[in-house]
Amino acid sequence: MNIYSVAYKNLLRKKTRAALTAGGIALSAWVLATLLGFNRGYENGLNRDIDNMGFQVLLTAKGCPYEAATLMLKGGTGLRYMPESVVKTVYLNPEVEKVTPMLMQGVFDPNKGENGAIAAYLGVDALTFPAMKGYLEFKQGGWFKDNNAYEAVMGFEAAELEQREVGDKLLIPGVDKELAVTGILKRSGTQDDGTIFLPIGAVQKIFGKQGKLTGLGIKVRKDADMAAFENKLYDLPDVQVVSMAQVKTTIMNLVNSARVIVLGIAVIAVIIAMAGVINTILMSVMERYAEIGILKSMGAMPLDIFKMIWAETAMLCSVGGAGGIFLSFLTARVSESAVRYFLPYAPNGALIALDWRICLFAFLLIVVGGLLSGVYPAWRAARVRPLEAIRIEGEQ
Amino acid sequence: MLHIRKFTLFFILAAVSSNTFAAVGCDLNDPDRDVVRLFPFSTGYKTRYLSIKTSGGEKQLARVEERLGDKFRGLYENIEVPYTLYDIFRGTETLGYIHGVNQKGEYGGIQVFLALDRRGAIKAFYIQKLTSRSAKELRSKEFGAQFAGLGLKDFENYSPLSGKSPEGSAVSGIKASPRAGKDFFSVMRAVKKNLILMNEFVFSKREK
Repeated sequence: MNIYSVAYKNLLRKKTRAALTAGGIALSAWVLATLLGFNRGYENGLNRDIDNMGFQVLLTAKGCPYEAATLMLKGGTGLRYMPESVVKTVYLNPEVEKVTPMLMQGVFDPNKGENGAIAAYLGVDALTFPAMKGYLEFKQGGWFKDNNAYEAVMGFEAAELEQREVGDKLLIPGVDKELAVTGILKRSGTQDDGTIFLPIGAVQKIFGKQGKLTGLGIKVRKDADMAAFENKLYDLPDVQVVSMAQVKTTIMNLVNSARVIVLGIAVIAVIIAMAGVINTILMSVMERYAEIGILKSMGAMPLDIFKMIWAETAMLCSVGGAGGIFLSFLTARVSESAVRYFLPYAPNGALIALDWRICLFAFLLIVVGGLLSGVYPAWRAARVRPLEAIRIEGEQ
Repeated sequence: MLHIRKFTLFFILAAVSSNTFAAVGCDLNDPDRDVVRLFPFSTGYKTRYLSIKTSGGEKQLARVEERLGDKFRGLYENIEVPYTLYDIFRGTETLGYIHGVNQKGEYGGIQVFLALDRRGAIKAFYIQKLTSRSAKELRSKEFGAQFAGLGLKDFENYSPLSGKSPEGSAVSGIKASPRAGKDFFSVMRAVKKNLILMNEFVFSKREK
């Protein structure tokens, strides 16, 4: 029988205590892995959402920058209008690869729900918008070809709600205009799923907004100096520049503040778990004082005792750490939904991105933390004097 | 109470596979408010999620289509559609049920809810969402009142394909202006389908 099997058998002697301690370690490993996964998942999701927009800069009429950023990421655009001539002005810049004009319009539909709701339509350019949104695939049909046609392409969820298929008619309430559905998009997991796209010319005509836009998406050349280009755009009158880099930084700053607090809680959870480990192992050492004394009198060296106690700690932490990481995989979807429920903005896709590196890091952190916690109890056990231990046991 | 229910629902929804949501369901927008409006004396409700796929499968689908007198059609009307059923209580006593179905209309989706008593008779009729030139008429109290007291037996001889029912029957008395056109027939089909599904999901099982 080697030292590790002795350590293993020792743990089994107090099963409940060992299980509770391993449970505490598992919980802290779960919190740690989930949080690290969230850190990675949120940033990945945000990058993906921004990439999926197809453009790096959005121009809107002047307004609140935070509101514009949020509206944009949620599929809306500015609330004011800018002249269509801005397209030509922007396109003259050598940094620009592509531009796509947009016009968002909403109408109040009194027949949605008990109190009515807003139905929104996004007017897009038939030539440039589909090219920028290359990731969008069709379940049925395709994009409209004419910017003035009374046609519509519906996002997956918008089409489900309206029970529309290609060839069906769609009525814009309030303005009483009929559109023909030319395409139904596949689910993309982005804000486009809930959007109804119309040709921009048709939206301008239907809503009487000829020559007006609410947004201009700009795709910048890869070698362009973004900062210099943005500075040029700031010189344009009455428009607001929302850079995706700014949006990302703003959102990440907001999320980071919350993340620091949650990470603090995770650290506390790990410290509590480590205190639990010290308590459990130390208690186990105290209970086996005489036994350790006998082992030493039989020839066990202090290093052997130290290794035996440390092995117990390592086993507890390994089982707890592995259990916690398994739990984080098991509950990733529930945790993700909880995060989505409480966060004002959460990107699409997996919010908790667990991979082997995160798991390994969380596991090692827990095991190393546990081993450090086990140093003191192991050291105390190694220092036991055989005769003294046996005498104390005899007196009891 | 609302928060507990939302929280529970959210956990259930989070735990189940995304495949469950391959087809769109029909929920009340604000159940706390709508349940009290449709059942003024109710004190609570319980939400159940059902589908033909899980309730009876292909056999049940065939039976529903036969009773309806029409096939399930299009992208969104299929065996997987999840239906939300609200059991309405007054204390521990069941007062009735609220159940809604989605129906393809001429210009958009129509969500038709029926509040049924314990025997399956219509207590209240509610169109939650409707895109139609006759939306105001079809969502009016006067139009909805024509359904009060009717049940599945009254709709058994109504044909959604022809939009006709035997002369003199209670259903033949349900009228809408000619302007309502196809959407009126869509609403009638939705009501019949709703009653059939309620019979399949609740009443026929209770009889057994």
